[in-house]
Amino acid sequence: MFGEDDLVKSHQERADIILNIIVVCFAILLARLWYLQIYHGKMFFNYSLENRLRKDVVRAPRGMIFSRNNVLLTHNVPRFDAIITPQYLEGDDETIPYLAKILEMPADSIIKTLKKYQGQAKYLPVVVKKNISRREVAIIETESSKLPGVSVETFISREYTDKDTGAHLLGYISEISQEKLPRLRERDKYDYKQGDFIGQGGIEQQYDLEIRGEDGYQFMEVDARGRARRHVTSDDLYSGIDNKPPIPGKNVRLTIDRDVQLAAYHALEGKDGSAIAIDVESGEIIAMVSLPAYDPANFSTGLSSNYWGSLVMDDKRPLRDRSIQEHYSPGSTFKPLTAIAALEEGIVDENTKVVCNGGYRMGGRVFHCWKKEGHGVVDVVRALKESCDVYFYSIGNKIDIDVIYKYATLFGMGQRSGIILPRETSGLIPNQEWKKKRTGVEWQKGETLSCVIGQSFVNVTPLQLAMFYATMANEGKLWRPHVVKEVFSNSGQVLKRVEPELIHQFKISRKTMDLVHEALFNTANAQGGTAGASKGVGIQMSAKTGTAQVISFSADKIFNKCENQEYKYRNNGLFAAYAPAGNPKIAVSVVVEHGCHGASAGGPVAKAMISAYMNKYYPSYQKKIMAQENSKMTWQQIVEDNRLNPVPMIQETDTKDYYDETGKLIRSFTLEKAGQVQTGPLE
Amino acid sequence: MFNFREELKRYDYSFFGICSAIFIIGILNLYSATHSQGIGPEEGLYKTQLVWFFLSWVIGIFVSFIQPKNFFRLAYPGYLISVVLLAMVLVVGHSALGGQRWIGFGPLKFQPSELTKIAMVLVLARWYSKASPEQEIGFRELIIPFTMTFIPAIMIIIQPDLGTGMLVMLIFFMITFYRKLKWKTITIIAVFAMIGATVVYNFGLRDYQKKRITTFIDPEFDAKGSGYNAIQSKIAIGSGQFFGKGFRRSSQGALNYLPENHTDFIFAIFNEEHGFVGSVFLIALYLALFYRLLWLASNVNKIFDSVVVVGVLAIFFCHTMINMGMVSGLMPIVGVPLPLMSYGGSNLLTFGICCGVVTSISNARNLF
Repeated sequence: MFGEDDLVKSHQERADIILNIIVVCFAILLARLWYLQIYHGKMFFNYSLENRLRKDVVRAPRGMIFSRNNVLLTHNVPRFDAIITPQYLEGDDETIPYLAKILEMPADSIIKTLKKYQGQAKYLPVVVKKNISRREVAIIETESSKLPGVSVETFISREYTDKDTGAHLLGYISEISQEKLPRLRERDKYDYKQGDFIGQGGIEQQYDLEIRGEDGYQFMEVDARGRARRHVTSDDLYSGIDNKPPIPGKNVRLTIDRDVQLAAYHALEGKDGSAIAIDVESGEIIAMVSLPAYDPANFSTGLSSNYWGSLVMDDKRPLRDRSIQEHYSPGSTFKPLTAIAALEEGIVDENTKVVCNGGYRMGGRVFHCWKKEGHGVVDVVRALKESCDVYFYSIGNKIDIDVIYKYATLFGMGQRSGIILPRETSGLIPNQEWKKKRTGVEWQKGETLSCVIGQSFVNVTPLQLAMFYATMANEGKLWRPHVVKEVFSNSGQVLKRVEPELIHQFKISRKTMDLVHEALFNTANAQGGTAGASKGVGIQMSAKTGTAQVISFSADKIFNKCENQEYKYRNNGLFAAYAPAGNPKIAVSVVVEHGCHGASAGGPVAKAMISAYMNKYYPSYQKKIMAQENSKMTWQQIVEDNRLNPVPMIQETDTKDYYDETGKLIRSFTLEKAGQVQTGPLE
Repeated sequence: MFNFREELKRYDYSFFGICSAIFIIGILNLYSATHSQGIGPEEGLYKTQLVWFFLSWVIGIFVSFIQPKNFFRLAYPGYLISVVLLAMVLVVGHSALGGQRWIGFGPLKFQPSELTKIAMVLVLARWYSKASPEQEIGFRELIIPFTMTFIPAIMIIIQPDLGTGMLVMLIFFMITFYRKLKWKTITIIAVFAMIGATVVYNFGLRDYQKKRITTFIDPEFDAKGSGYNAIQSKIAIGSGQFFGKGFRRSSQGALNYLPENHTDFIFAIFNEEHGFVGSVFLIALYLALFYRLLWLASNVNKIFDSVVVVGVLAIFFCHTMINMGMVSGLMPIVGVPLPLMSYGGSNLLTFGICCGVVTSISNARNLF
């Protein structure tokens, strides 16, 4: 390859051009570096100082939930965990036993915990003991020189004054899981961050966006390892740094009365079921209890996964709010509806009489009355009072199921009430069309007979049952049930007020109403009434019991003693009432799962709620009732007495001051009006 | 026949020497950039990098003892192997940072696109030395070398690794320019490239690639999003001022404001810690390397050797310029490492082999 050397030389021109390109490129680069480092160096240096600041999230305190009289039901409590940062842990042989002594726990378990997290980075703290006492906090902090690597971490725990008493109603909060984060952001159009807590169930969930407030941020100067050194304020070295204080969540005032709620809870304790009290004139819910329940505080103190798991696995499903998320056969508590429908449609009147001999034959099948030997001759008032099934079978034989459907719907059954709480179920009131659509089979006449006594397809939620009795009490006004009275800011300003809302109003004839009122009064008060046993001192109520089968028994087992059945086959006991009979203010419904009898299982609960409510809010009327306690007045006498000696039914207790769970005054609105906004506890 | 003492006497130490000097700066810088972050996954990276360095230098020095005529022989098989490896990456590769660039050999992961750069240099040098050397290159002569470049380039781009793909094309143009590409052809290509770039931008780029270009034009537009890297990088460089903040005093990288600070943005950390003075010194080292390469290209006696040296220069220069350009905000951000400074085994190996190749050519120069 002779001469190739020269050929290489002939490329010299191009080589020179390349050299020039390289030189020009680096000249531009150096000019750029000069521009950045020297011309604008000072400016960028200041920027880099700003970058030494870390933006820390300052969590907004979650809004608080108060009862109708401003008793704090839910509050935020600072709690402490003892933590070890393995990176800084020195002298294990002395430190760990010493810490164990302070925390009163075996040193082995601390070592075990540390071993468990051996795999993770050594600068990540490990929680050794959760929720330590203030005394332990104080010792750890004063002895910190002997405890290298041990520190105390503060967290805010969401706690509930009455623990599980209002678990379902109030809900709980839990950390948003990684998987749910994007979906929730989409749903709520809210920028949830990792580690954020969100309300689950009840008020905490339903009003989450109002209660949660808005997190702020605080600039922290950090060292080279990203550890916080100090808070930074705008007047420090760094100009133009703005911290954003968190906006506290809004507070919620419920319609719930804590005393009535506690009364219901204690009366129902140990049983499974639901108890509801509702204001007859507004739809405000006074008490709402579902059992079995859970302690909602356990979710925010970090026991969540185990605790939640055990709740989910529990056969009794304690997470479910039986008041609105579960429906039951109303049994005999449904009979007033059948009576009203039949009276209004002219199928029966006050004179219609039926002979009950313990059974009703239709189409070759015998429908049994609960009373084997029969009730004899009964009219509508006695049929309701003694809960005679045969009387209602005879109505069922004549009435169209669609008529029952029409009236039940008017009273709010078979549809969601529209209460602002999560996952309400609608219950079920059947009609012909529904059955055809659902099963493809025409409605059978025999099915109407079961439905009119509140069995078969008829299912209502405890809330609907309470609404039904409230609507009977106020004679045709169906109020939208609600649990929240107001949403208000920390300075006490009302931001949102929930006004009573009438869903609809309908007319029931005077005569029908009088018959039903009298019958239900007799049920609770007269000789032979099924709810008579529940009549307590100072309680004037109209009521109806119900006993609903949870499975169908064969004819030979129907009259077996309920208590001898296996628990899960026992009948549900129901009790619904309104009080005071002559001037109704409150309607209650109680469902006791497998409680066998409405009167014995549900009666005491209803009585406890009515007593607590009436004595608290209508003491003058109660005085009158107590005075008449032994006179055994009939329904007509009570109506007459109320007409002649009316007692003004005005609520006498209505405080605007706030009390904590122990009854200590924490904020007085009288003070606030005088211009002294008090945010902390009053001493 | 092989006299080791003779070999060592005429051994050209300049390339490995300059490259080692840059690497020493690089490893100290990498230690500074990663170590100051305390305990984290990046802490031991400089050790890994040292292992790669010794491996690359052993291979590079081994390559430097191969006669240049063997590079000539290896050109076509090497090219075929690299194309096959690229195809394998597309089928069975590992994903890293949303791209499929890696291929595993047991515990080792390797980026075949790195090997492609060297294979391209050799195959183009061989092709261009075959044609009559006086002949200038026009469109007709471009068809085959362009096709040879375009096939691997497009395979790299769809991995997707736009940066390396473009780099391969740039190396191709630099080599072809040296091999006397006609000025007329250059002008026409430039015009079409501009039109082509507009079309590709509008229809051919992935969203993140487009974003990088728009944020290059206005980084403040989306400071926390894709413009974040660009701004943080500029802050890092600028805050170094004249003398820098000092070794291990970088705050941008240490506080993780600057992501990928140990790979593509290592130059920013270097500037922050050593300032304008430091970068002038570093750039001088790179310039010395380029100048030495260009000198060698003009002082060998085979056209193949000359083109290979220019090719190696192209590899070094394009990496250096694009990386420094993007880190200092002169160019959009594309993932191109800084030779001998950025963390990464595959590219260190590439540069080691490159040094071996040019050293071999330089050593052979004195043999008549």
